[in-house]
Amino acid sequence: MKKLIYKEFALATSPLTFLFLGFTVMTFIPGYPVLCGAFFVCFGIFHSYQTAREDDDITYTILLPVRKADVVSAKYAAAVIIQGVAFVLFAIFSGIRMVFFADAAVYKANVLMGANFVFLSFVLLIFAAFNVIFIGGFFKTAYRYGKPFVIFIIVNFSIIAAAETMHHLPGMAWLNILDIKNAVCQMPLLACAAVIYVISAVVSCKKSETRFENTDL
Amino acid sequence: MDILKVKQLCKSYTDFTLQDVSFKVEKGHIMGFVGRNGAGKTTTLKAVMNMVRSDSGKVEVFGLDMSQNERAIKQRIGFAGTAADYYKKKKISRLLDITKAFYDNWDDKAMEKYLKLFSIDKNKTPSQLSQGMKVKLGLVTALSHGAELLILDEPTSGIDPVSRDELLQIFKYLKSQGVSILFSTHITSDLDKCADDITYIRNGHIVYTGSLSGFVGCEKLEDVIIKQEREAFYEKIDL
Repeated sequence: MKKLIYKEFALATSPLTFLFLGFTVMTFIPGYPVLCGAFFVCFGIFHSYQTAREDDDITYTILLPVRKADVVSAKYAAAVIIQGVAFVLFAIFSGIRMVFFADAAVYKANVLMGANFVFLSFVLLIFAAFNVIFIGGFFKTAYRYGKPFVIFIIVNFSIIAAAETMHHLPGMAWLNILDIKNAVCQMPLLACAAVIYVISAVVSCKKSETRFENTDL
Repeated sequence: MDILKVKQLCKSYTDFTLQDVSFKVEKGHIMGFVGRNGAGKTTTLKAVMNMVRSDSGKVEVFGLDMSQNERAIKQRIGFAGTAADYYKKKKISRLLDITKAFYDNWDDKAMEKYLKLFSIDKNKTPSQLSQGMKVKLGLVTALSHGAELLILDEPTSGIDPVSRDELLQIFKYLKSQGVSILFSTHITSDLDKCADDITYIRNGHIVYTGSLSGFVGCEKLEDVIIKQEREAFYEKIDL
């Protein structure tokens, strides 16, 4: 599997995928829906699927001494690694905002979601949606990526809309607490999101392996 | 000794069925897999390589079941042909570097030897190679990891007669080294020159599998196949 993951990054991953990790800096932009940064990270991964299809990466990989199912698990592993790096960057930038800039006027006056543990929870939910809807959808055919990505876009922006709305509802203001000391109450949400992310990635990967086994190339 | 055994392979599509395809390739033999366009050659080869999921049947390579031993079997076989046309814009040297990491028996000296023998510049990209050279690049990969069985999908299609003859000479050389070759083609004259055995497929059914001489007698393979295809055509239009 190590060799396949190396191959994913050395051959199949577009430079744009790495470049789009830079969108995690959007965490600092006040008055902007910061969850869009998570969407751009997913968009970067999507671009790798476009270039990999142009290069017929699936055929190349399946002719290597690997099991057909390994092709799928390597693609999931590569996506999870990219998302893991993005999450660490989001967490670092959120931490900086929560520790050093919690009282900054531009962030306090911000009516949109701030960077906190709830934000990080929704980042994980967006990544989970991408893995299930886009990668899972791609491996129905191992060729078509348009429809799964359009469905992901709809779900992604529904998640962002929900996240941006929830903290304005009565009694839900705690979702947008920005200073780290008072935001501890948000931690269980982050734990739940992490569990959902891990379970969805594993289940979606296993399901895609089965689908891909039955796919004719 | 049989290197490859295909047993009663079946695969149904809406407009085409591969029905009970069975044949075997012996060690050190060249088998031509012949049939007209759309007869089921590529589907069969892809099913052998697990690229197409068969509905039923079994593929055994080196005595091992392909579905249970995919990794181990692929270490010992090579596949090249029209279906293998990937990473056209990457440098060949880069592709070989990444590919070799997957093979336990990769031999760099052999790779350099075959690159030189086939006059392939590894600083080029596959897109800069002709169709014949791309097949040779596939052969370099296969031979550098000491493949004992080569599965080649239409390797001589679309290439000039001189390059075709060159490839056939390479196949004969590989055969002398104990390598078994299964290659599909509709250019039957290529098989007259190098094949020991043939498997002839028509509309997804095996018409004949066995020695070439047993099938053609004193005639040319092309004449025998055209005669058979003509008879099948007449039956179809009820003449």
